[in-house]
Amino acid sequence: MTRTLRLLLLCWALCLTGGVARAQPPEPSARVVIVSSDTAVAYAQAAQAVVDTLVRQGVARSDISQVFASELVLRQQSGLPLCPAVCVALGSEATRVLLAGPVKSPVVSALIPRRSFERLLRSSGKAGSALVSAIYLDQPLARQLALVRLALPQARRLAVVLGPESSAFAANLRVVAAAHEMSLQDVTVNNLDDLAESLPQLLAQSDVLLALADPLVFNSSTIQNILLSSFRARVPMVAFSPAYVRAGALLALYTTPVQAGQQAAEVVLGILRGRPLPDRVMEPNDFEVGVNTQVARSLGWSFDVDVLRQALRRQERLP
Amino acid sequence: MKTLDIRTRMLLAALLPLTLITTLLAAAFLTVRFDDLQTSYEQHNRSVVRQIALASEYGLFAGNGQQLQALAAGALHEADVRRVVVMNSRGQTLASAGEAGPVPTLAMSASEQQGFIRQAGLDWLVQPVYPSEVQLDDLFEKNAVEADRQPNQLGQVVMVFSRQSVDARKARMLITGGVIGGVGLLFGMALAVFLSRGVIRPITRITRLVERIGRGDFAAAEQLRDRDTDHDPLQVLQGHIHLMADRLAQARGELEQQVALATQALREKKDEAEQANLAKSRFLAAASHDLRQPTHALGLFVSRLAQLPHDAQTGALIGNLEASVRAMQNLLDGLLDISRLEARAVQVNKRPFALATLFDQLQQDLSAEAAEKGLRLRLRPTDLWVMSDATLIYRVLLNLVGNALRYTERGGVLVAARRRGSGQVVLQVWDSGIGIAPEHQQAVFAEFYQVGNAARDRTKGLGLGLNIVQRTVNLLSHSLTLASQPGRGTRFTLCLPWVASQPFLADDMARDKAAPDDLAGRSALVVEDDTLACSALAGLLESWGMRVATAHGPVAALQCLAQGEMPDVIVSDYRLQDGLTGLQLVQQLRQQLGQTTPACLMSGDTDPAVIQAVQAAGLTLLHKPVRPAKLRSLLRHLLMTPPGQRPTGAALS
Repeated sequence: MTRTLRLLLLCWALCLTGGVARAQPPEPSARVVIVSSDTAVAYAQAAQAVVDTLVRQGVARSDISQVFASELVLRQQSGLPLCPAVCVALGSEATRVLLAGPVKSPVVSALIPRRSFERLLRSSGKAGSALVSAIYLDQPLARQLALVRLALPQARRLAVVLGPESSAFAANLRVVAAAHEMSLQDVTVNNLDDLAESLPQLLAQSDVLLALADPLVFNSSTIQNILLSSFRARVPMVAFSPAYVRAGALLALYTTPVQAGQQAAEVVLGILRGRPLPDRVMEPNDFEVGVNTQVARSLGWSFDVDVLRQALRRQERLP
Repeated sequence: MKTLDIRTRMLLAALLPLTLITTLLAAAFLTVRFDDLQTSYEQHNRSVVRQIALASEYGLFAGNGQQLQALAAGALHEADVRRVVVMNSRGQTLASAGEAGPVPTLAMSASEQQGFIRQAGLDWLVQPVYPSEVQLDDLFEKNAVEADRQPNQLGQVVMVFSRQSVDARKARMLITGGVIGGVGLLFGMALAVFLSRGVIRPITRITRLVERIGRGDFAAAEQLRDRDTDHDPLQVLQGHIHLMADRLAQARGELEQQVALATQALREKKDEAEQANLAKSRFLAAASHDLRQPTHALGLFVSRLAQLPHDAQTGALIGNLEASVRAMQNLLDGLLDISRLEARAVQVNKRPFALATLFDQLQQDLSAEAAEKGLRLRLRPTDLWVMSDATLIYRVLLNLVGNALRYTERGGVLVAARRRGSGQVVLQVWDSGIGIAPEHQQAVFAEFYQVGNAARDRTKGLGLGLNIVQRTVNLLSHSLTLASQPGRGTRFTLCLPWVASQPFLADDMARDKAAPDDLAGRSALVVEDDTLACSALAGLLESWGMRVATAHGPVAALQCLAQGEMPDVIVSDYRLQDGLTGLQLVQQLRQQLGQTTPACLMSGDTDPAVIQAVQAAGLTLLHKPVRPAKLRSLLRHLLMTPPGQRPTGAALS
């Protein structure tokens, strides 16, 4: 009920801001343009966080305009020039449109998975360009392993299922795992049958299953069976999205859209204040820890997510 | 088409709709129930197979054959399940349970499938197994390629279900429905029979009632009314029928009464008429009897007188006198003939005879009359013989030719006979007289009817002739037809049966003529109470050369015999003194004589009873006035013929 109400309020707020944006199309003088991939709630939250943060830091609201990627495509087709001081791309689609278009302004891309950004850079050919900087949606491997160590100190054997897109991490992962005093049990699958066959054996040799985003391995139709298998094997899963926690993963480490938006706003402020565009990629500097208390209770654990989050932040010396 | 009786019709009217409704209802409800059963069976099957498919998802994902086997075995406990097969996406059977039987070998199917094996009565269902979807609204899955991708099929579940129990339930339902319908129908039938009886009984009763009334049994209505009950549905009708019966009975009573009254009145009228007729007959009889006696005597006297020698003038007078007497005698003979024919006292004596004899006689009797009127009487000679009564035919011819002569002024009369092919002889009398108009041709045969004689001229006869002819011909069973044209003439045609000529039969009349004086010397006893008649008769007989003894009564006659008289013949009056009849006297005399002396009786009486009595006794009755010639002929006949061959009962006049 409260969730529905919140959604309604959000929609209303979006309509207000979106309405402003559409009522006053971004004038050529607008200094910041926020491009959302679509109307998803996450992008709206992130956009709002960017606006709020900028306004709080003294940027005039009139200097900020918002637009959807589809609208931007239409504008570019009609030949209207867009020359803000900085563009904020929320999501892969917005980033793709901005990279493909004739925009010369620096682009800050947020809420974008690492593999998507890398693929975009490869396809757009702007690999050498210094005008794009991305704040990844994915959490750094070290942070994830740190969470595992904090939450499940007894776990030594880390199981990872890698797909075609994530197999490249294997080497890096092994190094990081070793750094966290854990042994890596990894298996690479190329199709679902492999997954079904290899999963029981993998789980039998592991203490914890770390889920890494790969659409072949982890998607809406596989997640239930993977979770069931891990639960039966009493191997907890640590995932990368709150949806996995809701589906039955024990823990998840993730950045919320608001946190991503705030981080993007900080970068924008720096650019507006004359600082150069930072490194091409940035790890998310804020995060949340999610836990499925039901699963935790079933497995005989209990966690305080705030404690875990603070501990992680302390380890990374984050404020 | 056979007509149905009322009971059958009523039963049909009640039962046909009932049967129809029962059958239709049963059919409709059973169809609906069968459909429900089939639908629920199919739904159950589908839900079971879906449930199993859902439950086997993880087993298929994990390739856990044991778990799937347990699942399949568990599924067998579900109703109607005969076989469960779980296959993985490569088509390998991971688990199978249930009776081995025909399982459709199917390729991996992406959608639900079902079918029916008719021979075994088995349904099969195939349910593909897909991993269940969990909505992951994270930002990592914004990949169009992945979103469009068809979920990977894990495998499929094939289940076989038996319709046996459903069919059994259907059969049970059918039987139940049939039994309920049948019981309902029987109940309806019983009710219809029971109710219709309530209507049919009164109708049947009324039908019987009307039938009895139709037969005239009006009492039936009363009888039924007593048994009437108040709740008879047809009481009003019955009441009306009773009313009708009452009215009918009443009407019939009245009618009968009226008929009885009318009958009574008619009877009285008839009695009166009969009385009047009787009185007339009696008067006629009495009058004719009283007339006969003097006429008889007159005739005899005149006959006697004519035999005496006279001068020419007296002779002419006597001739006229004879003619007058003859006319009077003819008149009385005619009356007598009618009387006898009416009494059916004429005995028919049919035998073969030659027509030529009759023709000769006619020529002899009537040529004088024809000559007087200047007419030509021609009898065409013939040698034909016929089978009939010669005497009666002669009278018929005499009447016909007499009539013809009477009504013809010019020309002549022709009598001719010819043979017709069909064994018949046609005897025709032609005349060229005044003729008879068509409207009178039927009436001329009536008594006293005369054409063109309103003045009752007695020289033209009495008008009895054709009546006598008709009656006689009827008596002989011959046919007589009449053809005539007014002013041109008349033709009477008489048909007689033909016979071959029989020359050995000598004709009496011819023989009589041959011996005219054979009465001479014979003795006769005349018994007659009338003095005049007695003396006249005696004189006549004596003039024929007979010896005559007379007696005025029975006593005298017996005395006469006692004196030694032995008569050769007895001639007696019928009605005698002392209340004795001539019949009785003749018997007494014969007794006294000791032999059956020939006898004849004479009477002025035309009473049929008398005639019959005389005929019964075997005697001959001569009616007064007796013609001398006839008497002579009879006497000659009686005296010449041996006793055994005498004609019996021939009443001659």
